[in-house]
Amino acid sequence: MFCRNQTARATIARGSALEMEIRRGKFRQSVFMESPQDSDIQKKIDYEIRMREGACKLLAACSQRDQALEASKSLLTCNARIMAYMSELQRMKEAQVMQRVARRSSDAGPMDDRSPCKAKVAISDLRIPLMWKDTEYFKNKGELHRCAVFCLLQLGGEIFDTDMVMVDRTLTDICFDNKIVFNEASPGFELRVELYSCCSEEDYSAGNTPRKLASKLSTSLGRSSGKKMRGTLEPGACSPTSNGGGAAILLPVPSVPGPKYHLLAHTTLNLSHVQDSFRTHDLTISGNEECSFWLPLYGGVCCRLAAQPRCMTQQMMSGCLRVKLGGEPQGWTNVYGVLKGTNLFCYHQKEDMEANVEPVLTIGINKETRIRAAEKDPHSKAQNICISNQYGGEEVTHTLAADSREDTQLWMEAFWQQFYDMSQWRQCCDDLMKIELPSPRKPAIVTPKQGALYHEMVIDTSDDIGTVTDILARRIEEFELRAQLGSPPHWMSLFDEDPPRSPHNHQHLPPHSPSPCHRTPGLLSSNASLTSDSDSPVSVSPCFRQAWSPDTSSSSGRFRPRTLSLDAKLSTLRGRGYGGFRCNCQPPTAGSGSPRPTQTALFCSSSTSSSSSSEGSNSQESDLGFSRPSGARRSLRNLRAKLDPRNWLQSQV
Amino acid sequence: MSFIPGQPVSAVVQRIEIHKLYEGDNLILGFSIGGGIDQDPTQNPFSEDKTDKGIYVTRVSKGGPAEVAGLRLGDKIMQVNGWDMTMVTHDQARKKLTKKNEDVVRLLVTRKSLEETVRQSMMQH
Repeated sequence: MFCRNQTARATIARGSALEMEIRRGKFRQSVFMESPQDSDIQKKIDYEIRMREGACKLLAACSQRDQALEASKSLLTCNARIMAYMSELQRMKEAQVMQRVARRSSDAGPMDDRSPCKAKVAISDLRIPLMWKDTEYFKNKGELHRCAVFCLLQLGGEIFDTDMVMVDRTLTDICFDNKIVFNEASPGFELRVELYSCCSEEDYSAGNTPRKLASKLSTSLGRSSGKKMRGTLEPGACSPTSNGGGAAILLPVPSVPGPKYHLLAHTTLNLSHVQDSFRTHDLTISGNEECSFWLPLYGGVCCRLAAQPRCMTQQMMSGCLRVKLGGEPQGWTNVYGVLKGTNLFCYHQKEDMEANVEPVLTIGINKETRIRAAEKDPHSKAQNICISNQYGGEEVTHTLAADSREDTQLWMEAFWQQFYDMSQWRQCCDDLMKIELPSPRKPAIVTPKQGALYHEMVIDTSDDIGTVTDILARRIEEFELRAQLGSPPHWMSLFDEDPPRSPHNHQHLPPHSPSPCHRTPGLLSSNASLTSDSDSPVSVSPCFRQAWSPDTSSSSGRFRPRTLSLDAKLSTLRGRGYGGFRCNCQPPTAGSGSPRPTQTALFCSSSTSSSSSSEGSNSQESDLGFSRPSGARRSLRNLRAKLDPRNWLQSQV
Repeated sequence: MSFIPGQPVSAVVQRIEIHKLYEGDNLILGFSIGGGIDQDPTQNPFSEDKTDKGIYVTRVSKGGPAEVAGLRLGDKIMQVNGWDMTMVTHDQARKKLTKKNEDVVRLLVTRKSLEETVRQSMMQH
C-alpha cells in the first residue's frame, strides 16, 4: 500500500525499501487502478534513476575537475527530476482517490468548468550580473577565485538545467546561452529558477587561467586553498545556510565524492513576468560571503520569458460558415472559417487556407470583441452569430451563420473558450511571442594554429611563465609529431659549436648589423617572444645567431628552431617552473667584457620569457655554469630585476 | 628630435601608411622597434640624443610591408594611428602596432634626413 507519508522524506536512500518498490513498479500493484499516465511517470522515474546511477559512477571514476563538475551537475538534475516525478505521481494518486471518493458518493460536481489552454513557455538569454568589489576586479595578483555555476529551471513537472559556466572575477555577468522551452504550462504556472554554484580551485585545464598556472604548478596547495578544497569535498559547511533560502528542488545527494553544488540564489517567475522583451527580476540570494561557493551577485537576473498559448498558435475551431457580406440582407457568402489566435480567418475554401492564400475576410477576435447570438432568422434554422468590433470610433458587425444548430453551438463554444483563454493568458494573447526552438548544440571547433609557436602573439598579460606553459601545453601534440618527422634542421649542427666562443663574436659584430642578431632576441620583452622562445628550446642562441647572415634575416625572421624533444623538456618544466635562457637580449651591457658574465647576463635576461624552452637547453648548456635557483618565483623576480634597466629591448611587429 | 622637458616636441615628420600582411595566422608589419620609456636610451644605436626614449625602428625586413611603405631603419616613430609614441613604454608601443583588428597602421615618423631636406630646401629660397 502506498504510504503517503513517504514522499515527505527528503532522501530516498539508495537500496532502500522504497526505492526497491519503485524499481519493481510496486505502484502498479497499488489499490488504485493504474492509468496510462502512471506508467509514463514510472518510466521516467526509472530512467532518471538509471541516469543518476551513471552519474554517480562517473563522478567516482573521473579524475578531471571539469568532468567531475559536469557529472555532479547531472547528478543534481537527476535528483531534482526524480523528486518532481515522485511528487507528481503522488498528486495523481491523490487525485484518483478523490475522484473515486467523489464517484462513490455520487457527488456530481459541475462538469462544465472551463480549463484554459496550455502554453509553451520559453526562457532564454539568462544573464546574472555580478558585482565585484573594484579592488577585486582590478587585482592582478592573488588566487583567481573561480566557481562553476549553472541554473536549474523547473516548471510543473519539467526540469531543465543550463550549461555549466566557469565564473571568476574577470566576468561581469554570468551568461547562459541556453534556450529552454517548457511545453505544458497552465496560466498559473510557476517557473522556478535556481542558481547553483560550486567553488573550483586548482584548475589545471589549459586555456582557462594561464596567468596563475605557473604559480599553481610550482607551489603546493596553500593553506587557504587547501581549506577550500576540503570544504567542497565534505557535505559543506555552508549547506545549512544554502538551504535556508526556501525549499530547494533537489534532494541532498547521497555522499558521493566530488565537487558539490550549493544553492546560491533562486527566484520564481509566473505569468505576470512574461513579456516579449528582456526583463530583470529579483533574485533571492542564499549563502553569504563566508561560503566557498559565494559569488557577489548584483541581486537580479535578466532574461526573456515568453509564452505561446495554444490558442494563439493552433486552430481552435474550423468549419464552414456563411457570412453576410455587403449591404444586401440576403447576401450570404460561403466561407471556410478558421479561428486562430486573435482572428477569425474566412477563406473561400479549405484548400486556400492550406495553400496560404490570403483570406477573404479577417474578423478580429480579441478582448474588445462582442459576440452574441442573434434572434432566429426566419429563413434559416439556426441562430446567427453577430461579432462586433470597434474599429476606431465605429462599431463594425459581422453576421455569420453556421449550417446547423449543432455547428452554431460549437462555434459559440469555441468563441467562449477563446475569450476565456485570453482572459487567463492576458498579455500573452495580445500578440504572438516568438519562441525559437533550441538548436542542437554544436561542439566547439578547435582550430589548431598553423605556423610557429612564435605566431601566437595573443598573450596580453605581462611576462609570465604560466602563459608560455599554457601555449606549450596546447602545442605539444603538434610539435611532437613534427619533431619526430624528418631530420633535424641544418642549423642544429650549430649547437655542436663551442658556446663560449659566440659571445665574443657577437660582441664584435658591427652595431649596424644587429638585425640578424637582434631578431630572435627582439621579442624578449613582448609576450610574443615568450612563445617563440619556448619554441626554440635550444638556448645556444649565440651560436645560432652566428650562422645568420643579414640577407637571410627577413626569411629567417619567422623561423624558429624546434627541439626534438620538446615534450620531454616540457615535462621537466613543471618541476622547474622557471625560464631557462634564451639570450635574446640585445647587445649585453657594454660594460661586461668577459664571455662568462655576458652569457649569464644573457641567460638571465631571457629567463622570464623562455620558460619551458630553456628547460630543454639546460641539459645542453650545463657547461655555461649558470646556477639554478631553487625557487622558481624568486629566480624570476631576480632575473626580471636584472633584466629591465639593463637591456635595450626590441620587438618585432 | 631631442626632448627638452617643458617644451613641445617639434619635428619634421613623414606620414607612412603600412598595410599589414598576413603571415600564416598573424598580421605582420615587417619591422622591429626598440626603445621606450622603460628602456635604457643609451643603448639606442639610432638616436642622436642618447637621452631620447622614443621608439625607433631597429630593423626593416626586406620587401616587407614596412619597407614598401617607406619606413627606413633608424626612423623614430612619433605616432601610430593617432596614438603618441614619444612617451610610451616598449610594450605599449608594441601593442599599439599589433592590434589584431586593424590591418592598416598610419605612422608619423621622423628621421634626421628629413630635417636636412627641409633645411636645405628652405635655404634655397
